Amino acid sequence: MIASLYRIIAIGRNTLTEAVRQKVLSVLLVFAVVLVGCSVLVSQIATPGLDAIGLFDAQIKFVKDFGCGAIGLFGFFIAVLSTAQLIPQELHNRTVYTILAKPVRRSEFLLGKFLGVVLLVALCTAIMSAAFGLSLYWQEMRGLAYADAIYGGMAHNFPELVDKVHQYEAEAAVIQAGGGDSAIQMRKIEALNDKYRAQETNWEGAKNLVEDYDHDVRLIQEQIRDPQLIEAILLLFAKLIMTTGIALFISTFATSSIFTIITTFLIYLIGHLENIAREVWLQRGAEISIWQSGLAGLLSLLIPDMNSFTIVDEILAGNHIPWSHTLDLLGYAGVYLIVLLALSIAVFDYREI
Amino acid sequence: MAVETRGLTKRYPLTWKRKILVALDHLDLQVRSGEVFGLLGPNGSGKSTTLKMLLGLVIPNEGEARIFGQPPDSLEARRHVGFLPENPYFYSFLNGDETLRFYGKLCGVSGAALEKRIEELIDLVGLQNGRERPLRSYSKGMLQRIGLAQALIHNPDLLFLDEPTAGVDPLGSAQIRDLILRLKKMGKTVVFSSHLLEQVQEVADRVAIFSLGKKVLEGSLDSLLTESHETQVRIPGDLDSSRQEEVCRLLGQAGIDPAGIRFSRPRLSLEQLYLRTVQTQPESSARDSRPRL
Repeated sequence: MIASLYRIIAIGRNTLTEAVRQKVLSVLLVFAVVLVGCSVLVSQIATPGLDAIGLFDAQIKFVKDFGCGAIGLFGFFIAVLSTAQLIPQELHNRTVYTILAKPVRRSEFLLGKFLGVVLLVALCTAIMSAAFGLSLYWQEMRGLAYADAIYGGMAHNFPELVDKVHQYEAEAAVIQAGGGDSAIQMRKIEALNDKYRAQETNWEGAKNLVEDYDHDVRLIQEQIRDPQLIEAILLLFAKLIMTTGIALFISTFATSSIFTIITTFLIYLIGHLENIAREVWLQRGAEISIWQSGLAGLLSLLIPDMNSFTIVDEILAGNHIPWSHTLDLLGYAGVYLIVLLALSIAVFDYREI
Repeated sequence: MAVETRGLTKRYPLTWKRKILVALDHLDLQVRSGEVFGLLGPNGSGKSTTLKMLLGLVIPNEGEARIFGQPPDSLEARRHVGFLPENPYFYSFLNGDETLRFYGKLCGVSGAALEKRIEELIDLVGLQNGRERPLRSYSKGMLQRIGLAQALIHNPDLLFLDEPTAGVDPLGSAQIRDLILRLKKMGKTVVFSSHLLEQVQEVADRVAIFSLGKKVLEGSLDSLLTESHETQVRIPGDLDSSRQEEVCRLLGQAGIDPAGIRFSRPRLSLEQLYLRTVQTQPESSARDSRPRL
């Protein structure tokens, strides 16, 4: 068992090394990273005139959509292109003979190749996600700088006011944390207010201004530092690995890479549309024939439901998606992948090479 | 017995022509341990199919094969087997050392044992100048030699070499021939296919000749090639016509019919002449451009 794992890892590492040393993939990845990184600039072009604090979230939403969209799209290309040529290239170069003539099972060869592509897709997703994170950080910096400029224009000593209000809030928090009689606490807070009123003539106005500023800053940061983005990236990765599994299965019996690429793309497309088709049929009620419902059932069994992963759009729209739902989807992807790998091994075991 | 086949048959259906191609027809073959066995025959005669079936890469329609008593597709059989395919490309992005390290790991060799084995094999195949070069920059002969090294990485007892000298220049071809002879001395069993009959003659103990998927002839080279009704005598020096007549007269006195005696001067083969000329030259004119430390 350990020896088998060792062989799978050796083949996986070799597959990853091959992909990393291929210039086409590197160029594709660099392009994706530059594109994701530049999403902040693109967001400004795409949303002209929206450069105001209240509308800043439109740009943030754009950066998120654009970043995740680019990760999904380029990830799809990298996953499908690299998987589609795995087996045909091994057959063409006859390297498959040298591997399978060693004490290596065909299943180990296939799983090793799959592991290599999974590692590659994980690496690419990590790099693109890092670029996405940097672009979000850039957007946050821009937002904060813009908030500073807007609120700075409302009061000449705005930075000092911010410090003062934050200091006041810290002191008030200490008083409240101290506990004890509420009447005494009220008196202490009142004394604190008097102290700051003495320092700042329009203390209430300053407090309101800084509170608005803090609210806007929090709004920007909450949108950008949304922990749900991790869920979104995990779901995108799961979708890419499912696509890899489909491409691997097709390549076990395909005679050319082009066939694998086109068929995978079609299955990917049907996987997105089957849900919609089913809903349309269901709406037609009695008009559904037994053949149509049978076909819909067969399609949903054979073709993965890619549309479920559009839940990522909900996350990007700021809607709360519970982790349990994300884990359900990851589980679905895992089960589907196991079935695909089992089928791939069964087909490849009987293939004449 | 290193290799044993009984009635081994492979048929490929030609769906469009509604015909069946018999790639190999009921092959019975036995290769003894420590033997160098040559598979000869024109293209499409079934040599490569035989090798692929002996490696478990192609499933026979009929018959069976055994490698040291094990089915060819078993891991146990493959632990004893090394294989060099015809015109191998390998992974062009790896260098010589990385290639051997990869194949070594597949065979369960690792750590210091693997590094030691790589050193030994690089020495054996003479690829010291290719260790850090990517395989895409290798010549055909170098590729065949790294191919032999990967086939030997787990120190197998049996080697299958499919056209090991195909496309290699005469010098590279001679180096591979010498390697096969060294492997024989090391006690390895070698089964190889080739079109270069003279080379097969130099290294093989026994041969089988294939034609249209059938084995048509098999035997030791001595038994197949020796003309038992004639005797050859080699005499040093140049014999002029008077001395030739004297030799004929003496042989006649010994009861040999002088009419059947022929005099000729031994000739070098073109390969022998080529090798004698080229082997005195350095192997490569390329110089290492890296600064010396």
